[in-house]
Amino acid sequence: MSVDTRVERKLPQGVGRLRFGWLVFFAVAFVVFLVGLAAYFYQMSSGMIVTGMRSTGTMGGATWGLYIVMVEYFIGVSIAGVVLVAFAKVFNIGSLLPISRLAVLLTITSLVIGVLGVALDLGAPFRGFINMLLYARPQSPFFGTLMLVAVGVLFTSLVYLYLDGRKDAATIARIPSGLRWFHKLWAAGYGDTEPERERHRRVMFWLSIGLVPLVLVALSTEGLVFGIQVGRPGWYGSLQGPDFIVLAAASGLANLIVLAAIIRRVRGAEVVIGHTVFRWLGSLLLAATAAALYFQIVKTFTLLYATPGSERLISDALLSGPYAWIFWSSLTLMIISMILLVLQAARRAWSVPVLVAASVAVSTAAVAERYLTVIPSQTHGMLLPYEPGSYFPTWVEFAVVAGLFGLGAILIGGFMKVFPIIPLDFDTREVRTDA
Amino acid sequence: MTRYAMVVDLDRCQGCRGCMTACKVENNTVEGNFWMYVFRFEQGSFPDTEMSFMPRPCQHCHNAPCVKVCPVGARFHREDHIVLTDADRCIGCRYCELACPYGVNYFNWQPPDEGQYSIVDWKDPDLEPVTNGLIPPYKNPDLDELWGDEQRRTAGGGHAKGIMEKCTFCVQRVEKGLDPACVDTCPTDALVFGDVENPDTPISHYLKENRTWQLLEEAGTKPGVYYVGGTRPSSELKEIERPKATV
Repeated sequence: MSVDTRVERKLPQGVGRLRFGWLVFFAVAFVVFLVGLAAYFYQMSSGMIVTGMRSTGTMGGATWGLYIVMVEYFIGVSIAGVVLVAFAKVFNIGSLLPISRLAVLLTITSLVIGVLGVALDLGAPFRGFINMLLYARPQSPFFGTLMLVAVGVLFTSLVYLYLDGRKDAATIARIPSGLRWFHKLWAAGYGDTEPERERHRRVMFWLSIGLVPLVLVALSTEGLVFGIQVGRPGWYGSLQGPDFIVLAAASGLANLIVLAAIIRRVRGAEVVIGHTVFRWLGSLLLAATAAALYFQIVKTFTLLYATPGSERLISDALLSGPYAWIFWSSLTLMIISMILLVLQAARRAWSVPVLVAASVAVSTAAVAERYLTVIPSQTHGMLLPYEPGSYFPTWVEFAVVAGLFGLGAILIGGFMKVFPIIPLDFDTREVRTDA
Repeated sequence: MTRYAMVVDLDRCQGCRGCMTACKVENNTVEGNFWMYVFRFEQGSFPDTEMSFMPRPCQHCHNAPCVKVCPVGARFHREDHIVLTDADRCIGCRYCELACPYGVNYFNWQPPDEGQYSIVDWKDPDLEPVTNGLIPPYKNPDLDELWGDEQRRTAGGGHAKGIMEKCTFCVQRVEKGLDPACVDTCPTDALVFGDVENPDTPISHYLKENRTWQLLEEAGTKPGVYYVGGTRPSSELKEIERPKATV
């Protein structure tokens, strides 16, 4: 197929057209983002004392709080999109390709937010950017978080998104609009000739193969941030990396399902993003949730058998202490989600609303799990006999995190107005109308 | 090669916390930050109780986990084994604090002037003639200097907002050939500081003549602080009170 030469009246998929519903959505997202920004400036001017974080030990606090919890969550979410697309490309699973662009966009958005979250958590963020370039130490897992994730995975995902979109850009660059310059720039002379297609196919294939190990290594460092700490009960262990990846896959797929359901609804793309897509996503979410639940149950049993000593401090805090309600709620949500997914798989009928409900449950459980990884080992994991501490986020932290979600909505919503979110090869409705 | 270390003789320590005060005066740390902290423990149940004390400076570990995790090399070892924080390089990620099993790191959660002890209102016009307009009224000028062969701002750097700090073994004093402030102040000579590579120093004699133990040896951090006598911290020990000073 060559670039579509049929003359169209308007850009496809609502690109370039601002409808009332979208404007309301965008305005709300923007206001939330501004509130977050204002809260961050307040934090910058007053110091991080306006957060609920405090030093561990004599202050009895948690020095990493909600920001790092959400960083772990967002960076985790990023894994699913790009790995799913790579998987689809390598194994030639055409059914998943209608959501490939959305999936990569989810990866990019969550990575941008995740890396921003790290910056928001720094006491000296401007110096952080400079010193991480000047003095970076690859031996620190923090390097993995910022450099491998930010530079490696994010950059590769952007390249992926760019290459994958060139053909569509070339197609819609023929349509007169205010965005034509942008689409021309994106297409960069792409003519969809046979050699170009072959070259693209080859690059995308190898990029897909290269991306998976890169993502796995980069995201494993997220688990290593905690897993290599011998001095903090609850953290040290080789399972932190795999545990992170498994929960990341589940939460990422959950987010992708919710987003796909929203896009399907707002774009009226019930056929394009049809049941085959959701069957795939549902089955993969089932597998990922089963693995995450397995990890969680194994962890629960291990905690039950913790011997008196430092590990016991954490197991008591999680199983029956101040964090018990989060721990058991998270486990319950995972089990509920698992039941919903298994029932659907058994009946071989994937209902989108039920799948969305299961996804929201998995995603909420994932945030709770990240919270339980990051916080209790700080407040209750001191090896010297300090009194147990406590942590509760302040309104500033909630506002900043809400601002990050607002930014995510702006990025995804904004992208949908400048470029087709569903690859045109799969969404030919408007082309047919105009032909 | 010089290797600085400290001995804490718990059989001599009477829990007066004079070392904590001396540290605060020397290093101008803000309220709630205790570079030197003295645990006051209670063991058993009334009336069969026993009290014990344990000063806890930074352990200046030879295999320091805080140095390993620092993403920018702001936390580093000097040649003489003092572990320091470069106030100009620290980015405030607080990873060192999480890696440290001893709880010796303190982050500057707010502008340091605002965190200083407010026993009196330093901006009170009646106090102005006394403070001569300086707020807070005293600040150790040595803290802002560059120290050591590396010439890095390691003595606390004036305690800037948003960066990490901890016990420096009073590097600004050690560079002048003095003992750390806590050692100098201790009324019972429970703290001994010096070069353990030199066999003629008091600390080398102390180490030779006494059985020592180290905090959390099982963590493999190889601390530069040695304890003599006393009671090792365990889950049996309860802190009598927790510091009231907060930020």
